[in-house]
Amino acid sequence: MGGDYAPGEVVAGALLWTGDSPDNHAILVGKQEIVEAEIARLQGAGLPGNSSQITIVNANEVIGCEESPAMALRRKKDASVVVATALVKEGQADAVLSCGSTGAQMAAAIFILGRMEGIERPPIVTSLPGEGGHQTLLIDVGANVDCKPAQLVQFALLGSAYASSVLGIGSPRVGLLNNGAEETKGNALAQQVYALLKEQAGINFIGNVEGRDLFLPNADIVVCDGFTGNILLKALEGLGLFFARSIMKEVEKPPAILASFDYSRVGGAPLLGVNGVSIVCHGSSRREAVANGLRIAGECVANGMVARQAEELAKSN
Amino acid sequence: MQEFFDLARKILAEQLEVEIEAIGAETTFEALEADSIDIVEMIMALEDVYQVEFPEEELEDFPTFGSLINALYQYLQEVGK
Repeated sequence: MGGDYAPGEVVAGALLWTGDSPDNHAILVGKQEIVEAEIARLQGAGLPGNSSQITIVNANEVIGCEESPAMALRRKKDASVVVATALVKEGQADAVLSCGSTGAQMAAAIFILGRMEGIERPPIVTSLPGEGGHQTLLIDVGANVDCKPAQLVQFALLGSAYASSVLGIGSPRVGLLNNGAEETKGNALAQQVYALLKEQAGINFIGNVEGRDLFLPNADIVVCDGFTGNILLKALEGLGLFFARSIMKEVEKPPAILASFDYSRVGGAPLLGVNGVSIVCHGSSRREAVANGLRIAGECVANGMVARQAEELAKSN
Repeated sequence: MQEFFDLARKILAEQLEVEIEAIGAETTFEALEADSIDIVEMIMALEDVYQVEFPEEELEDFPTFGSLINALYQYLQEVGK
C-alpha cells in the first residue's frame, strides 16, 4: 500500500478495476482498518466498483524509498510489498502491483518470487510508441540504477524472450541506447555492453540506437541501464504533458497520439526475469493509473507471460 | 573465525563473479560493486549453512567485508553455533 497517494488512490483504482469484470478480484494489502475506511469513503462518494470483489490482507509496515531495499525487506516482514509478493508465491494471488518503493518491490521479487536462471537483476520494461504504430520495448526503465555490462545483456535476452513469446515478434531486433551510432561510442559501460551483445548468441543485435531514433521502427527492444532509462522515461512523460498543455491552448481537442505519453493510461510495467507477475507503477499513480496497472497485470497473467518468458530464455541459456 | 571468513569470501566471490583474492577484510562492498541485494544473498547463504537467522539490526552499517563478517561471527558465537 505504498505510493504518494496511497491508500486512497490505490484503493480507488482497485475498485474501478473490479467494475471491468465480475472475475476481477483485488486483494488489498495494508492496514486493514484504514483500507476498510477508504473503501467505505469512496463508495459513499459514489465511486463505481464492487467491494465484494475485494479482500483485505492486513500488513502494518511500509518500506520507504529512502530505505535500503534488501535490508528493509529482512527487517520489515510485515511490509505490504513483502506480504503481497508472498501471496503470489503461495498461489493466493496471480500478480502483485505496487506504487511504492521500486527497490523494495524488486528485492521482494528477487527473494520471494525468485529469479529466472541466468538473471541477476530483474529489469522493468515499458513500451514506447513509434511511427506507424510501432512499439519499442525499453529495458530497464528504473529497477537497476547501477548496472554491470552482463546485466544489460541479460536485459536483452529477457526482452527478446518477452517480445518473441508474448508479443509474437520473430527474431526481435535489439539495440543499445547510446550517444552515437558508431561501435566505439558511449561511456565505458556502453562500450563493454556493445562488445558483449555483438557476440551474444540468441540475440538479434542491430547496434547502437540514439535517443532521437527511439520512435522509429528500427528496433523492437532497446536496452540501457535503469538510471538512464528512468530519466528518459520521465523526460518523455514530461514532454508529452508539455506538448499536451501547449497544444490545448491552440486546438479544441488534443491529438490522440499525446495519450501515448500519458503514463496513467499505461498504468504499470512488468518486472521481467522473475518467477511471478510483478507490476511496477509510478509512485505518483492516481486511480486511473492503478486501474490500468491492474489491467496490465491481468493481461500478463492471461497470456502466461512468466512461463513463456522462462521457456524462451531457457532456449538461449 | 578463519573458516567462517573463508566461506563467506567464497560465497561472495562466486556471487559477484570476482576472484576470491579481490575480497579481503578491508575491501569495501562499494569497491566490489556489491549492493544490498548481493550482501543479503551472501548472508542468506551463510544462514543456510549454519542453520541460523542473523538478526536484522546486526546487518546494517558495515562498509567493509571484514566488519560485517566479524559482526556475523560474533552472533554465531553468542548463539553457540
